[in-house]
Amino acid sequence: MTITRRGFALGSAGALVAAQGLARPALAQGEPIRIGWLAALTGPSSAPGIGFDRGVHYAVEAINAAGGVKGRKIELVVRDTQGDPTKAVNAVQDMISRARVHAVWGPTNSGESLATTPIMARAKMPNVHPCFVDSLIDPAKYPNAFRMAPSNSQIDNAVSDYCIKNLGLKSLAVVGDTTGYGTTTVTSSTAAIAKRGGNVVYKGTIDPTQPDVTPDMLRMRNAGAQAIVVWSVSPGLCARLMNTRATMGWDVPLVGHPTMGSGEVGKLIAAPKNWEKTYILGFRNCSFGADGKLPAHVQSFVDGTKGKIQLDDTILWWVLDGVDAINLIARAVQEAGGTDPAKMVAYWDTVTKYPGLYATYSWSKTEHNGLPDSDIVMSEANSQRLGAYKLAPGYT
Amino acid sequence: MLAAILASGLAVGAVYALIGVTYNVMFSASRVMSFTSGQLGMLGGVLGAMFIARLGLPSLLGLAATLACCAAVGVLTEIVAVRPVLKSLEQHLYVLSTLALALMIQQVTAIEWSTEPQPFPRLFGIGDGGPTDEKFWLPLLACAVVVVGLELLYRRTLVGRAFLAIAEDNFAARALGLPERNLRMASYALAGVIGGLAGFASGQLLLAFFANGSMLNFYGFVPVALGGMGNNRGAIASGLALGVFQQAANFLVGGVFASVAVFTVFIVVLLVAPQGLMGSPSVRRV
Repeated sequence: MTITRRGFALGSAGALVAAQGLARPALAQGEPIRIGWLAALTGPSSAPGIGFDRGVHYAVEAINAAGGVKGRKIELVVRDTQGDPTKAVNAVQDMISRARVHAVWGPTNSGESLATTPIMARAKMPNVHPCFVDSLIDPAKYPNAFRMAPSNSQIDNAVSDYCIKNLGLKSLAVVGDTTGYGTTTVTSSTAAIAKRGGNVVYKGTIDPTQPDVTPDMLRMRNAGAQAIVVWSVSPGLCARLMNTRATMGWDVPLVGHPTMGSGEVGKLIAAPKNWEKTYILGFRNCSFGADGKLPAHVQSFVDGTKGKIQLDDTILWWVLDGVDAINLIARAVQEAGGTDPAKMVAYWDTVTKYPGLYATYSWSKTEHNGLPDSDIVMSEANSQRLGAYKLAPGYT
Repeated sequence: MLAAILASGLAVGAVYALIGVTYNVMFSASRVMSFTSGQLGMLGGVLGAMFIARLGLPSLLGLAATLACCAAVGVLTEIVAVRPVLKSLEQHLYVLSTLALALMIQQVTAIEWSTEPQPFPRLFGIGDGGPTDEKFWLPLLACAVVVVGLELLYRRTLVGRAFLAIAEDNFAARALGLPERNLRMASYALAGVIGGLAGFASGQLLLAFFANGSMLNFYGFVPVALGGMGNNRGAIASGLALGVFQQAANFLVGGVFASVAVFTVFIVVLLVAPQGLMGSPSVRRV
């Protein structure tokens, strides 16, 4: 048989195609699962990022130590965004085009997420994140994005419900700091309270550097407030509200933002009793019950990771959410039979009551907010231990 | 209610007044409005908390160390941000140079100290947070000490008279053989001490917080403009009035509207009396 040049060229091309067809599954099976982790690990808003990071690394090491997902190890591609949306955009573009990650966890604050979510949607990148801003989740616009934390609306509802239903107080003052977050949350919280039949008798913002909040609190008291709903990320302002409440001898509960339970506030209050009767947003799985224990599966995780994950200088839900994020991505790869983005997203669309450490997640094609309202509770601000808090009065 | 508004108003006003005096002392010596004044106030609180609460120094020693450090920052301001631009005062380059130094001080404090407010230790333990608490009267006491101290310095000492001489006419003062540069540095050190004292005395009220610097820069400038540039009595009176007005406005209209009220009055006063309430109109010889 004579071998012509045309025959040789065709034969070579055919062999090449056949070889590629054979080689591809073998390559994909051995290829690590690359998870992009958009973390604010340095800078002023790095505290949550550091907490999430501990959970992320723990989960990755645990999965890899157990042999990976269907034999594929997980490889983290971490980029420190420093909480800066510009850096987050650059990092996510790098992850999509150069590092070719299979899924992204993060960013962890809404400012960054507002910038990166449309980019990931265009690239159809499977994305889970813990950011609160409502508009970040829209299954029609961003079918690839799934939330693993409460939305702002859920938080507003939880706080209003607690004041009106659990404490039985209807006349409320709503205050926030003068940041964009404080101002917008005061408005949304006021609407949530009104929707539940509550009466907002005072609504205002306070500069976080204002040295004395007595005038503001006098106005709240004169308006007839029975509880004060506080939306501020400033420990200084929170502590001043607590100290002034004590000086005025005003026995009114403060309810709201988790900052009121931070260790920074603990340093600034004039006396430990000033911290009492203060209730912050919390999560059922990360709350100590009356027996002083966390829910059984979380307690067993905390006991089992003693010495491996530092919890005394962070918040427990950040760590647990980080663990859950990696587990949910790994589960998606397992259920999808690989890292095909459409199949991973399709799996997440069917998740029902996934028993995570931080929460019990459910998603559907039309609902990408993963947390049920029942997982959002209020906690006693002065009860922090191992990054978790005691359930506030009114819960069983 | 009135007592609470007066106590906090006068206390905050005393701090504004002292920062105003800090501006004035630097201005008198160099014709430069140095925007490091507010940062000196911030440093007074932060360094006081660091020396007493963190390093465990006795209060008096902590105060002395704080004032010494603030005096050094004052001198540094003169060397780094003022002296190089004195030859071109009419170009107002000092606005940029002093603002840049102020920002550097603020950022270094944020990095090395904390981005969150830290507690300032109780100095005497008097009061329970009410209107008679030490956090309210300590700034007033510091203000009184500065007023009396400056009066004695300017009226009874040779150095004080030399300060007045360079403030009045530094060319003539130099012609008479006064060491203008050394006196200017001494003025900046004195300004550092006054700013540091303001921050130290108000530490319990404002907390040891890096962001206080810009707030004090802002509100400390108002008494200078209202009282007349270089007029310490005007700054003290205007500062105290500003504090009380601000707290009253906080109570009556609250929140961000209080700042609007303060600056509305500020603008109206400057429209009526551009030289300040206690300043004299500048006269140009022709």
